[in-house]
This record gives sequence, C-alpha cells and structure tokens, in this order.
Amino acid sequence: MDLYTISFYMFAVLLLGSAIVVVFSRNIVRAAFALMITLLSIAAFYVLMMADFVGIVQLLLYVGGILVLILFGVMLTNRQISVDIREGAIQTIPAVIVTSTIGGILAGAIWSTAWPMREAARSVAATAPVIGEMFLTTYLLPFEVASVLLLVALVGAALIARRERKS
Amino acid sequence: MVPLSHYLFLSAVLFMTGAVGVLTRRNAIIVFMSIELMLNSVNLTLVAFSSFLGNVTGQMLVFFVMTVAAAEAAVGLAIIIAIYRRKQTVNLDEINLLKW
Amino acid sequence: MLTYTDFLLAMPLFSLTVTVLLIIATEAARVGRARFSQFLAITGLLVTSLLAGLNLRESGVAFQGMIATDAASSYLTILLSLAGIVTALVARPYFEHRDAHRGEFYILLLFAIIGMVLMASANDLITLFLGIELMSFCLYVLAGFERTKDKQNESALKYFLLGAFASAFLLYGIALIYGSVGSTNLDAIARAYAGISNQPLFLLGTAMLIVGLGFKVAAVPFHMWAPDVYEGAPTVVTGFMATAGKSAAFAALAIVMIRTFDIGGSTTADVLALLAAASMVLGNVVAIAQTNLKRMLAYSSVAHAGYLLAGVAAGTAEGFAGVFLYLTAYTVTTLGAFAVIGWHERTNDEGTSLDDYVGLSQHQPVIAAVMALYMFSLTGIPPFAGFIGKYYVFMAAVRADLTWLAIVGVLTSAVSAFYYLRVIVMMYFRERDGEHIPLPRIPVMIALGITAALVIVVGVLPSTVLQLFMPAM
Repeated sequence: MDLYTISFYMFAVLLLGSAIVVVFSRNIVRAAFALMITLLSIAAFYVLMMADFVGIVQLLLYVGGILVLILFGVMLTNRQISVDIREGAIQTIPAVIVTSTIGGILAGAIWSTAWPMREAARSVAATAPVIGEMFLTTYLLPFEVASVLLLVALVGAALIARRERKS
Repeated sequence: MVPLSHYLFLSAVLFMTGAVGVLTRRNAIIVFMSIELMLNSVNLTLVAFSSFLGNVTGQMLVFFVMTVAAAEAAVGLAIIIAIYRRKQTVNLDEINLLKW
Repeated sequence: MLTYTDFLLAMPLFSLTVTVLLIIATEAARVGRARFSQFLAITGLLVTSLLAGLNLRESGVAFQGMIATDAASSYLTILLSLAGIVTALVARPYFEHRDAHRGEFYILLLFAIIGMVLMASANDLITLFLGIELMSFCLYVLAGFERTKDKQNESALKYFLLGAFASAFLLYGIALIYGSVGSTNLDAIARAYAGISNQPLFLLGTAMLIVGLGFKVAAVPFHMWAPDVYEGAPTVVTGFMATAGKSAAFAALAIVMIRTFDIGGSTTADVLALLAAASMVLGNVVAIAQTNLKRMLAYSSVAHAGYLLAGVAAGTAEGFAGVFLYLTAYTVTTLGAFAVIGWHERTNDEGTSLDDYVGLSQHQPVIAAVMALYMFSLTGIPPFAGFIGKYYVFMAAVRADLTWLAIVGVLTSAVSAFYYLRVIVMMYFRERDGEHIPLPRIPVMIALGITAALVIVVGVLPSTVLQLFMPAM
C-alpha cells in the first residue's frame, strides 16, 4: 500500500460517510456541513487524479459558492430546525431496493468491462492552460451558452424571489 | 496504484446514495443537496475517465456541470424560498399539490 | 478556426440571442412596457424563422462540431419559433387579465427557445446537455410565473426537483457514454457505435440517457410530474411546455437514437417500444377519468409521447420523418387547444373543468368549432393533421417489424376518441347554463386562426411539409 492508495481509501471513507450523513441526517444544518466534507473529499480525488484546476474550481465554486447558497437557504427557511422535519419513511424500502438494483447493475457493468489498465496520468503539467485554450477554441459555443445559462439563472431567481410590487 | 474501476465504483455508490436521498427525504433543501451529491458523483466519473483516457474532454464537461449546478442552486433556492415565504414550510408533504 | 459559415449556420441562434438582449436592455431601461417586449419578441421570432427558412437547404457542422445544421434542425427551429409566436400572442391577454403581464415572460420564453434550438441542432452531448438545461431552467421559472399563486409555486418546485433529478441521470448517461467512446461528439460516437454497442457500460449509459430524455418528454414511467405541472402552471406556459418543450426533447431523442446510434432492431429499440406502449395505454386510459381539461390534456400528452416514441423505436429514416411530422401536427393542434383553454379560464383558475364547456357552441360558435377541430385532430380523424402524424409514425413502426406496437397505437387511439369527443359532446349537445364569456381579443383570434389553418394544411398537404425537412424523401 503506497501513500496514494492509502489516501484514496481514506478519502473514500470520508466521502461516503459524509454523503450518508447528508442523506439521512435529521438535522438539516448537520446535513449541510456534511455536504461540505463530501465536496472537499471530491476535490481531494480530483487532485489525486492530477486534475488540479478542476480541484481548485471545486473548492471555489462548490464549497465557496453553492454550499454557502445552500446554507443561506437553510437559514432563511428553517426557524424550527430539529423539531418539525418529519421523516418520510414510507418510501424508504422501495427506494433502497430500486436504487441498489440499479447500483448493482452498474457495478456489474463496471466490473465486466475490460478497462485498459492505463495508469492515471502522472505528469505534473498544469491543466489550466490546456483547459483555458479549449474553452476559447473547441468549446467556444458551449462556453457562451453557459454564460447565457447564468444570465437565465439571474433573471429567473430575481423574478421569483423578488417581493411583490404593490401596484 | 488505484485502478479506474475503483473510482467508478466509488462514484456509482455516491450516485445511488444521492438517489436514495431524493426518493426518501421530504425536506426540499435536503432533496436538493442529494441532487448535488448525484451531480458530484457524475463529475467524479468524468474526471476519472478523463484522467485514465488521457483526454481532457471529460474535465471540460465537468466545468459545464458545475456552471449548471450553480445556476440550479440559484433558481432552486429562489423557488424554495418563494414557497417558504407564503407557506412557512419546505416540507414536501405539507405542500398539497405534491403527491408523489 | 471560426469561419463565415459557422455564423451563417448558427444565424437563428444569434438572432434569438440579440432579440433577448434587446428585450433585457429595454426592460432594464424601462423604455417600454411589457407590451413593447412582446412586440420585440414576436419580431425577433419572425426574423429567426425567416433565417431558419434560409438555412433549410444548407447543411453542415459549425463551431468545431458542436452544432450541426440541416433541413430537419432548421425546420424544427421554424416550428419552435411558431410555437413561441403563438405563445407570445396569447400571453398578453392572458396575463393582463390576471394583472401579471411582465416583460420577463418574453425574456424567459426566448431563452427557452434558444435552448430548444440548441437541442434540435446539437452535434455534441455537451451542447445537448446545455440546451436541455437552458430550456428547463426557463420552464421551471415560467411554471411559477405568477408568484402569488400557491399552485404555480408548487408546480414550479415539483418540476424543478424532479427535473434536476432527471438531469443527474442524463449526465451520468453522458459520462458513461463518454467513458466508453472517449468523446462526446455525436459523429465520433456514431463511428464508434458498431464496436461498442454491446458493451454493458455503454448500454447503461444509453439507458440513463433515455431516463433523462424520457422525463423531458413525459413518457411512462417518467411522466409523474406532467399532470400536476401542466395543471398548476399558467395555461399559456402549459401550452408552450407541452408543445415546444416536447418537440425539442423528441428532436434530441431522434437525433441521438436514430441518427447517432442507429438503434433499429436492437435491444434499445425494444426498450423504447415498451415505453411507447406503456405511455399510450396509461396516458389514454387515465385521461378518460379526468374532469379538468388541462389535466386531461396532460395525460393526453403522455399518450402522444407514446405515439412519438413508436417512431423513434422504429429507428429508421421513415421513423425520423414520422416523428417530425407528428411533432408538427401535435404542436399546432395542442397550442390551439391551450389557447382556447387560456381564453376560457377565469382569473381564479375556474373555467378549466370539462363541465364549464357545456353548451359553448351556443354562445361562441366559432370558438367551439375551432376547439372541435383541435379535438378531431388530436383523436387522429382524417383529414386533419393528427391523422397524418399517426399514419406516418405507425407505418414506420410496421415497416420496422413493430406491428404489435402499431396495433396498440391504433387501439389506444380508439380509446382516446372517447375523451376527446366528449369535449365536443359537451360543447354541442348540452344546454348552456354557465356565464357568457366574451369573444377572445384579436391576438388570441390570430393565434387560433394560425393554428387552425395549419391543422388543416398539414393534414391535407403532408408531403409538402415532409419535403421541407426531408428533401430526400
């Protein structure tokens, strides 16, 4: 077991453990903080796979942006956090059966595929220049569409969340 | 050395955990967080493929997924807060129309 | 490098974007009222359909293989612009009546159409995904457009959460396909298809893609959002969602399944055929029990998704043509039907129940006649558009050895006659005791005129329409 393998399993445990807390926790604030640990461990995996730029963006955008937004949502909507969140246990068993069936098929498919046993890229070359260039050449159109998408989010969120105008 | 399949197993398990959350939880914000888990597992799969195929397309896709997730958070939380403002609840059982 | 051709092929996208930016600018500067935005939107959509019309005989790949323009995608752009124009025409009377007419409606409408055009001309899974998300975000917000209505907020929330859930499946499918092929470009996937079509991981990716797109087209078993969202959303939005949204999603499904994957006769085709049969049966049977017209049309749209899936499952060029023809017929008919419902609806959500239509022909014979026309077309009675659509789709299914599916389709169409014709019976053969509703305003009349004329034109001259998007056939 080298250091790479050890850190993989360490982060894997951290990732799945915190994900389970997110999904099953009764306390919504605890769930949000567990989500932070999940997102951080995902960033760790990106770094393990030498995707440095994606890892940094994961930190900035997910942990620094989306998670903060979710926390705002939690704070704005929950005055009685641990009291009134009713657990819907009705669907739990069928849901677990369905998803574990799909997961089982997925695992079988992953197992039975003959993967080219190529090692993860070990070059330490930074990925940012390559990605930046791709954005402005091959992926120019999706890049622009993504900016349009953010504009839609801006217009939409402003429209929905704005208070009623007294007319 | 960790093979590709380990990364894929890991993200498959994460994806299914998120799916269980969406199907079983009744708090809209927790459902939303579970969807974020699913999107993250997709990103993990994409980066794993990208890294093992030595092809940067997967990482490009990850950036677009992240953009969409950010936009989704903005729109989604706006809708959730709009409902909360009128109903004082984000519990999907108490929102009558939502029988699912 | 970008060339002149790239911009030429993407011209409709640019004209839509320029229009929407103009509307945002005038809204922000408060130059005009919402009606000025409506004017801009309709003008922009007319220009877009003109530009798409000029592109009908062009074909090629633009922006480094991100989008592909051909007759089918240009044709669909025209159809989507038409749906946008009709929706914009109907929207102003509808929202002014409810004191909720805002310029943002047209901004989101045009953004949604940009997403739909991207879906119809996608040549890369990334473009496809971004197009779907762009469309969906706009529809989530539009579903809850009148924020003071609880029902609309709830339908927006339900649509949003289930839509995001479906998007996650779609993305996982894209990731698995990328992993099996090493590229997200549809041309590259098409080249690699023969070698990988039996790999379990690729099949699983395809299955997840079907889950994601199946949700967007509201096919059984991914339809559970449709009735509530269709009923809860403002009627003009429902009409737009049911027609343009479904058209774009089916165009994407047809492009991926028929043109890229060439699924004819494969297991994937069998799965799609099963989904098609389930949608036809469930949609039509449950629609019978509905008393609310919007909800009834929601289940009917599930059934129509089934008929359309039959064309996709055929997996042939004929099936592709059938799907596009059916989409044309379904779009013009359903848009018209929802325009009538929007006119008939009172401010507090009353007037959408089937009982409210009793004796409509005595008060408004013209509107009742037009509504009867739409109902005949939805049933599939010749010579109206709906019949032609069904004919082509079922023929494609029979030729692709899916005769059983065509039989299920014909039988369930017969069942559907029951609830469509019930609307006509209500309007014509019962005594009116409800209130008198004044004639619709001019824009609505124009919208009804356009759609009713097209229902007949498409029904009578299907080969002319076919020529537009399938020059070779």
